[in-house]
Amino acid sequence: MPGVFDRLQKQIEDKQSEGGITALDLADLPPALRKIMRLMLREIQLGYSEITNAVASFPDSERLAHKELDDALDTLTGQAWLIRLGERERAIYKVNLRRKSGSTLASGVWNTLDAKLKDKPE
Amino acid sequence: MSSGKIISIHSFRGGTGKSNTAANLAALVALAGKRVGVVDTDIQSPGIHVLFGLDENKMGKTLNDFLHGKCAISEVAFNIGEKAIDAEGRAKLAGKNLWLFPCSIRGREISQIIREGYDVNRLNEGFQTILKELNLDYLFIDTHPGLNEETLLSIAISDVLIIILRPDNQDLQGTAVTVDIARSLDVPNLILMVNKAVPKYDFNNIKKQIEDTFKASVAGVLPLSFDLADNASKDLFSLRYPDHDWSKALRGVADVILAVK
Repeated sequence: MPGVFDRLQKQIEDKQSEGGITALDLADLPPALRKIMRLMLREIQLGYSEITNAVASFPDSERLAHKELDDALDTLTGQAWLIRLGERERAIYKVNLRRKSGSTLASGVWNTLDAKLKDKPE
Repeated sequence: MSSGKIISIHSFRGGTGKSNTAANLAALVALAGKRVGVVDTDIQSPGIHVLFGLDENKMGKTLNDFLHGKCAISEVAFNIGEKAIDAEGRAKLAGKNLWLFPCSIRGREISQIIREGYDVNRLNEGFQTILKELNLDYLFIDTHPGLNEETLLSIAISDVLIIILRPDNQDLQGTAVTVDIARSLDVPNLILMVNKAVPKYDFNNIKKQIEDTFKASVAGVLPLSFDLADNASKDLFSLRYPDHDWSKALRGVADVILAVK
């Protein structure tokens, strides 16, 4: 029977498969949202209070009020760029990067290449 | 957040000496007593492992294995200070804290990752785990030239981005694109390094022109060198020939990295 960790992990993986942010999306974000995302990229996962504390340490010009931060987190989770587990003060946020897609070359090309490479010694 | 710094080494075009520079800079910083990691994210065309004396036989787990979920990132770490001191330059790294995280050089594994793609979250988590678990001062990321997902990610998470360019018009135009993107991603420290400058020109003049063009600091102008070409990536040139002009200029770049707060 799966434990709590397994269930949470599954929940994260399901949500991650829903989309995610690319670095180019990041460049188009408003400065405050981009700053939060850069923080999350380095931390991977933070609780709401940890994000609040981090934002409080931003320079005056970039600091967000409580409501602004909540709105920013709603925007980022709405886009599936952050994954939220739990509610508000007890929520944990995790960054969600979009999977690098595979090649769109015809499968025949890859099958031929595989066949050739299989003949080569390891 | 780990206090270790991520240093991305990038160039818009190939052939600028990016991997050579990344390997030598990482070695110089490790020689200065810092704990250093080097990740090869040039999955399509890996090369930096050669400078550290690795070949297919010596290579164990690779970044490809980690991205496919076959191992932990810590299992990919190759301890240069213990295992790759078989050349005159690299021998100076004995006992130093320098780890390489190589990509696979097996054709099948390269084609698999190009064909299937990979989880970019896992790559990023790998970077952050390396920083924390090895308690690194610096993590160097050697990127694929041009702009793609892993390159943009490494730029986005960098504390320092070093863009290498040659004094060549194609490089200048491409570098302008990269500088624009780096600025739009709020990279805290953007540094340019000019490599393969023809020695007959005034390097101070080249430096000023590039700085005026990009409004960014040039940490060094390194000469085009037949000696470096003759080394053929067999050893870490700046450690083997520390009095060479190329090595001296590169030490200046390493000093700039070490001075970043």
